Amino acid sequence: MTLAHYLTVAALLFLIGLFGVLTRRNVIGILMSIELMFNAANVNLAAFDRFLHPEGVAGTTLALLIITVAAAEVVVGLALLMAIHRNLGTAYVEDFNLLKG
Amino acid sequence: MLEHIVFYSLSTLVLVCAIGVVTMRNTVHSALCLGLCLAGLAGLFASLGADFLFAAQVMVYVSGIAVLIIFTVMLLGRASDLHLRQVNDQWMAALLICAVSSEGLLKIARFFSGTLATTAAKPATRDIGRLFLGEWMIPFELVSLVLMAALLGAIFFSRSEASR
Repeated sequence: MTLAHYLTVAALLFLIGLFGVLTRRNVIGILMSIELMFNAANVNLAAFDRFLHPEGVAGTTLALLIITVAAAEVVVGLALLMAIHRNLGTAYVEDFNLLKG
Repeated sequence: MLEHIVFYSLSTLVLVCAIGVVTMRNTVHSALCLGLCLAGLAGLFASLGADFLFAAQVMVYVSGIAVLIIFTVMLLGRASDLHLRQVNDQWMAALLICAVSSEGLLKIARFFSGTLATTAAKPATRDIGRLFLGEWMIPFELVSLVLMAALLGAIFFSRSEASR
């Protein structure tokens, strides 16, 4: 297995996540696609750590920090979504137009 | 040989489940696909020799975030959602953007096509602990501050209007 294999998988995962962010109508779907993109970045970091810098652990450590921030992001995002859903009664992004004027 | 079988089966699982996440009409199904995709990614980390990252992925993502998302889907879901289209009108443009970006990303991947691992993977947990409590002390403390803020934010936003 070369580094290119892992980078290809991560790139495809990132692009699938990007497609989901751009096309999903449901906010939960968008949040899930963002998680896919975070994970693609983590695979890249772990792969670079393993192949190019095997004596250190900086890549793995940075991936751990990303996992922590992603957990915080999803918790706040879902709490905001619950609040919006309570006020507007919908989870579809095109209905979130209170600021449109 | 075994390495190839593990890598190809795990990446097939990950990519198929990721496509399921973005295309499934039923949000519950795509949340379940997300859980499977994250579990496959944990296996990919294990095949890269990142043992602590594997454990963190299983603990935080598969058993934390995926379960949280499934809970929210079940709280917010309505039966009428199953008949609505889950993809907006701009999917052609999104596909075009992804195709253009894939060109650059795969070019980067091709650049490393000859890079092989030179040493065997070794346990990294001890080194990660030393790095976190030594050189990377400030990012470590900042991340705990972020977690604290997320906790308070989640409590604040999810309270009902009456109790504010």
